[in-house]
Amino acid sequence: MLIESVLAGAVRGGTSMLYPVLGETIAERSGVINLGTEGCMLAGALAAYVVGIETGSVWLGALAGAAAGAALALVHAFMVLSRGSNQIATGLVITFLGLGTTALFGQSYVGQGVNAFAAVPVPGLSEVPFIGRVLFDHDPLTYLSLVAAVVTWFVVFRTRTGMKLRAAGERPEVLEAFGLSPVRIRYVAVVVGGSLAGLGGGQLSTAFTRNWSENMTVGRGFVAVALVIFAAWNPLKAIGGAYLFSGAIALQLELQARGSEISKYLLQAMPYVTVIVVLAVMSRRQLQRSPESLARVLG
Amino acid sequence: MSVETSVHPFDDEPIDEPVDESSQGLTTGAAGLTPGDGTSVTSLASGGAGWGHASAVLRWTFALSAAVVLYGAFLATKGADPVTALEAMWESAFGSTNNLGETLVRAAPILLASLAVVVPARAGLFNIGGEGQLLMGAIGAHGMAMALDGALPRPAALVLAGLGGAALGAAWAAIPVLLKLFTATSEAITSLLLNYIAALVLTWLVFEPWKDPASLGQAYSRELDTTTRLPVIWGERVHLGIVVALIAAVFVWLALRSTSWGFRLQVLGGNEEAARRAGFPVARLTIGAMLVGGALAGLGGFVELAGVEGRLRPEILGGYGYVAFLGSWLARHDPLKAVVASVMLGAIVVGGFGLKIATGLSGGAVDVLMALVLLAILGFAQPRGAR
Repeated sequence: MLIESVLAGAVRGGTSMLYPVLGETIAERSGVINLGTEGCMLAGALAAYVVGIETGSVWLGALAGAAAGAALALVHAFMVLSRGSNQIATGLVITFLGLGTTALFGQSYVGQGVNAFAAVPVPGLSEVPFIGRVLFDHDPLTYLSLVAAVVTWFVVFRTRTGMKLRAAGERPEVLEAFGLSPVRIRYVAVVVGGSLAGLGGGQLSTAFTRNWSENMTVGRGFVAVALVIFAAWNPLKAIGGAYLFSGAIALQLELQARGSEISKYLLQAMPYVTVIVVLAVMSRRQLQRSPESLARVLG
Repeated sequence: MSVETSVHPFDDEPIDEPVDESSQGLTTGAAGLTPGDGTSVTSLASGGAGWGHASAVLRWTFALSAAVVLYGAFLATKGADPVTALEAMWESAFGSTNNLGETLVRAAPILLASLAVVVPARAGLFNIGGEGQLLMGAIGAHGMAMALDGALPRPAALVLAGLGGAALGAAWAAIPVLLKLFTATSEAITSLLLNYIAALVLTWLVFEPWKDPASLGQAYSRELDTTTRLPVIWGERVHLGIVVALIAAVFVWLALRSTSWGFRLQVLGGNEEAARRAGFPVARLTIGAMLVGGALAGLGGFVELAGVEGRLRPEILGGYGYVAFLGSWLARHDPLKAVVASVMLGAIVVGGFGLKIATGLSGGAVDVLMALVLLAILGFAQPRGAR
């Protein structure tokens, strides 16, 4: 069953994408773009892996992953919000910092097996043909990521906190008029975003690949930033975005396994091509749907 | 035109002190903040009083020293003696004529790829695709060299191979800028993602169609013949490509400074609306800036292939495009300062080899130093408006 394998693979591999897309959605809703998401994911991947090995607890590992992502994002927030440095350049520097630090501290952990997150089939539902394998036979962080998407959507669009977050990104002067600090809100949003990216990295190393290697995210964090646009800054649509990329990965792996005529190296490029093509097709419409101030500035 | 305006230019009102300037840069593209602001801000910062210049030097010295000290502390956490480690890095980058030569050899592709960031930045574009454009340049140069197959005399063969690299680099850069103009997709994001695709195309070529039949375990392409190798001009390794890179830097400097093209790019980068009202061909200028950038990076790929490597392998030029992006920001998008920045970054790359021998720390260690230097410069050394 090609479709079943691809969809199951999309969900399994998409979790490590969904967390950073959600995180970056929160950060960008507040008005800050963080290309350091890639670095936050790497930091999270290594921290979760190491803490998982050292303590024997995958959950402590996941927590450490989130903390590491948050720590790196805090540097980005400080540079951008308190030192006024350029967001794009700083984000790439943050990624460099994450790449270098994890390469150094991960050196001795390469190839060590981790005490990994196991799949927890949902009783009953996982027996359902097709749907069971696609949706209900995954590790706990995968179920949690879907909950996180719904919760993020609710918080962003249905709560006071979410209103402040969106105001910080769209009409900071309104916040000021109410005596609130847009800068503080942005700090929180960027750090929360980084922690989700770190958690996504942690899922990648402790549940998906179950291994650590240098630069193991290979651009997933950058793709996440692209998928935020695809998802039009909407946490629920982020699910589709994350699974689109991981679905493309699953499809090319499946094609490789079935002995496709196309070179495996070119198949590996397919997920990145997919993201660029989808963005190109959808960008203009997404930008129209985006917050008013965004449309206003773009004219 | 800057990426923030296309990705999410949320705030166009100053919020409070710290965010004030950056938020203006995000949205209005105020002259002081878009990537194309290099010269204007420099002149503001250092122009006029000698005091301003002195304080800038002080700020830079302080920021750089802080970065190095922090890095030393960082190395200490890995059990390395910071002084020994930093000495080993310095020694390996500048310790002898040959080591200095190695630093210059590394600086050449970094400089060309930095210029590939500088020119688009002048027009308000973010080119983060230098990595992919470098690789495409190496591929184009290699393809041309194989097609010529030693049939032409060396000068002609070298020029054609260089053109092949520049052309493919420019073609690769055309993708993000055309997507930006026709579909409003952020060129920062697409150029960045294209790096991963370029790397896979290179891997494919080297492992499959262009694989040297003689290569067994480690895949590489056939070796260039002597007509397409850049001559060594100094010491053992310093090749003509360094001169090519320096000439390119001077050309870019002159073109941006003294031609109407450079002036128009500057206006476009400062305020797209103003450029439109002045009747400038905005789309053509935008495409042109990016293509010139891609061609420069492509030339960088050629220089590394023809001057150093001689054949393609999957790891060729790994990471240089990102280093060069940092270099352009270090130089505040000034072509001549980019020369200094590239030598400095080349020295850090070469220093990393010394560090590895002296302490056994992985190559990633130098990424940390580059990041710290950049954080110090971006956040602390430059006057606020210029960050």
